[in-house]
Amino acid sequence: MEELIKKVNSIIDLSKEGEAYFISIATEKSTPKGSTLIREGQAVDKVFYVTSGCLRSYCIDKNGKEHTLQFAIKNWWISDYIAIHSDEYATLTVECLTDSNVIEFNAKELSGMLTLFPEYEPFQRNLLERHVLSLNKRILNQLQLTASERYDLFLKQYPDTEQYARNYHIATYLGITQESLSRIRVEKAKR
Amino acid sequence: MKALQITKYGEIKDSLAFNEVSRPIVQAKDVLIEVKAAAINPIDKSIILGNFQSMMPIPFPSTSAYDVSGIVVEKGNEVNNFEIGDLVYSRVPQEQMGTIAEYVAVISDAVSKKPGNISFEEAASLPLVGLTALQSLEHVGIKEDDKILIHAGSGGVGSFAIQYAKAKGAYVYTTTSTDNVEWVKELGADRVIDYKIEDYKIIVKDADIVFDTLGGNYTAEAFEVIKKGGKVVSVVGSLDEETAKMFGMADYKLPEELKTLCEDKEASYKFIFMHPNGAHLGEIKSMIEDEKIKPIIDKVYPFSESIEAFAHLATGRAKGKIVIKIS
Repeated sequence: MEELIKKVNSIIDLSKEGEAYFISIATEKSTPKGSTLIREGQAVDKVFYVTSGCLRSYCIDKNGKEHTLQFAIKNWWISDYIAIHSDEYATLTVECLTDSNVIEFNAKELSGMLTLFPEYEPFQRNLLERHVLSLNKRILNQLQLTASERYDLFLKQYPDTEQYARNYHIATYLGITQESLSRIRVEKAKR
Repeated sequence: MKALQITKYGEIKDSLAFNEVSRPIVQAKDVLIEVKAAAINPIDKSIILGNFQSMMPIPFPSTSAYDVSGIVVEKGNEVNNFEIGDLVYSRVPQEQMGTIAEYVAVISDAVSKKPGNISFEEAASLPLVGLTALQSLEHVGIKEDDKILIHAGSGGVGSFAIQYAKAKGAYVYTTTSTDNVEWVKELGADRVIDYKIEDYKIIVKDADIVFDTLGGNYTAEAFEVIKKGGKVVSVVGSLDEETAKMFGMADYKLPEELKTLCEDKEASYKFIFMHPNGAHLGEIKSMIEDEKIKPIIDKVYPFSESIEAFAHLATGRAKGKIVIKIS
């Protein structure tokens, strides 16, 4: 929790009262490998900040196959933001790929920070900007880069995730088949 | 709900009908699965023909088939290992037979989450053949560098067993007909024997294990190709005494010929009667997700053409599994 507070305070100057409220709405949780924090088809009111471990959000297509949208490692936030912001049921599932520790917030209470403590707003905006940036980059990378380049970026962006994630988690994140991922890995090993 | 039912023993076209039936009621340990896909196996055909009526008589009408994949939509109050919305697959127990239907209730011990990297159709193709192969090869303790002969490599059980044995690091011989040699090779078998032009008994020597999926003379012949102290495991041959006892046949004795063959080779013989098992399906899930095993599908039929699917099964020419897409 301290680390998160430090992160917040590195961007804004949160008042003592703001900090106390922020802590009061946060719940630190240990979540075992394989546990599901958000389940497709159910109501969502939580967002999670990862303090350790590795999580994954994915959707399931009509044929029953999973497609990874995002991985989340230390210092990343994860939730089903579509469900939260459009007040719909989850279209994503969020699962823990390792034993993890997260800080859980109720999304409405976290938004409440903006009204109660206006100085918090730049932090929230910063988060949102980074989120939009990362989504745009992901789309552009998908359009412009080769599968091999996208894989290199994945390795940089999510260090160590390869040891926790299954091949199909990574392959579907990159938008390629498991066979292509294996081929890319073999080629990289040769280099 | 709509279901494909067996109305009497007899020829497929005369004995199957689509009926409107009530949705199954879940018991305390059951989950109710909204069926996305079902798969059919030779046993389903044999049941319709009445081949098992003395051993496993069924009431009429009974909904057909055992293999299923789908979504958990309801659960009994003692079910803790599944949630509503879980994507699952199963080989349902005998008493819950009936997967060619919109819903099926299944004891949760026989259910596993489905592999995340394959479709419902592919997942439905796996349980019966996967459990048969896994339980047989686990029983004989297959391990790295074992030499194994797997008969009928292009069959549902054989094609799964080849991949399973390769994943365990074994050297795999398999038999198949000329038409299937190429795709069976692609499954990873080290030596594919075209039984139409080659004699497997000359090629296979000192095998550690023979996986007998054919029965008849092949069970006895297995002892010609195994090494001293080798293991023969069968899913179609004679019962062994331990398995017979399990079925209440306390006085059953292993046929004299098999007994002698075992003694001469200091070998073991085991009959495996596949049993539904969710934990084993969990192991298969991991192997599928790690791409150690791939489902092999011959054809997917829509629900409305389920009877045609059975007719195709009856030809015995399918290269891989026959699946029925329910919804």
